[in-house]
Amino acid sequence: MDRVWGVAVLEDDLSLVFSALADPTRRAILEHLAGGDATVSQLAEPFAMSQQAVSKHLKVLERARLITRSRTAQSRPCALDTAHLDTAAEWIARHRQVWADRHDRLDAHLAALQGRSS
Amino acid sequence: MSGTGELTYRRVHRAPPELLFDCMTKPEHLAHFWGPTGTTTPVENITVDLRPGGAFETTMVNDADGSTYTMRAVYVEVRRPDLLVWIEPEVEGGMRTSVTFTDLGDGRTEVTTHQTNVPEAYMSAQARAGFQTSLDRFDAYLARLTS
Repeated sequence: MDRVWGVAVLEDDLSLVFSALADPTRRAILEHLAGGDATVSQLAEPFAMSQQAVSKHLKVLERARLITRSRTAQSRPCALDTAHLDTAAEWIARHRQVWADRHDRLDAHLAALQGRSS
Repeated sequence: MSGTGELTYRRVHRAPPELLFDCMTKPEHLAHFWGPTGTTTPVENITVDLRPGGAFETTMVNDADGSTYTMRAVYVEVRRPDLLVWIEPEVEGGMRTSVTFTDLGDGRTEVTTHQTNVPEAYMSAQARAGFQTSLDRFDAYLARLTS
């Protein structure tokens, strides 16, 4: 596997990111964290959810590496981790490049079929 | 940024929609252009069962080291020469690709590729959370899409 297979290399990682992002509550949690770090109880309040329910969502976000949680403070505040999201952006750009290249070659193929120069 | 939650790639080709549809659905055509740059997809590595529910699978071979990668998709809609839709159930919890062929009436056809799921989840989170670095990249990416 090298960069030719960029799509495959990142797929497992990114399916975690994308499935984490697919849930509106988790997106709202990320939105909240974009405004600053927060503890579980601070997150539970605006969502009118139990801390257990919020913790479940946080686990999904943490597994997808979209947030980090402090190991030192007892309240274990959550922070946004944007690096992994950048990776997702790069994946999309690469994916788009696959289509661009594909259409370049399709163009050449069509030209050959039609007996013209592309 | 459109906010529609879709990634779109458009391209105009000098060919009728029927030919473009066939290029996208016949292994003997696909073999010429499918695989990402640096790979080859031989005709015998391409499965096309052109009906809703039918398989669309391509095994791409890396030119450098012979390693392979298989895309496994299932057709959802097949309407020659206007529309082709497939999903890849194993990718990001189900990635949907729709390819629309629009006859421009002058011997050219616009091919529009929409990919959803990935961008939908991505864009909404981006737009709402305001991750600036990623947004900047995304804007640059969209600019290239529409250029």
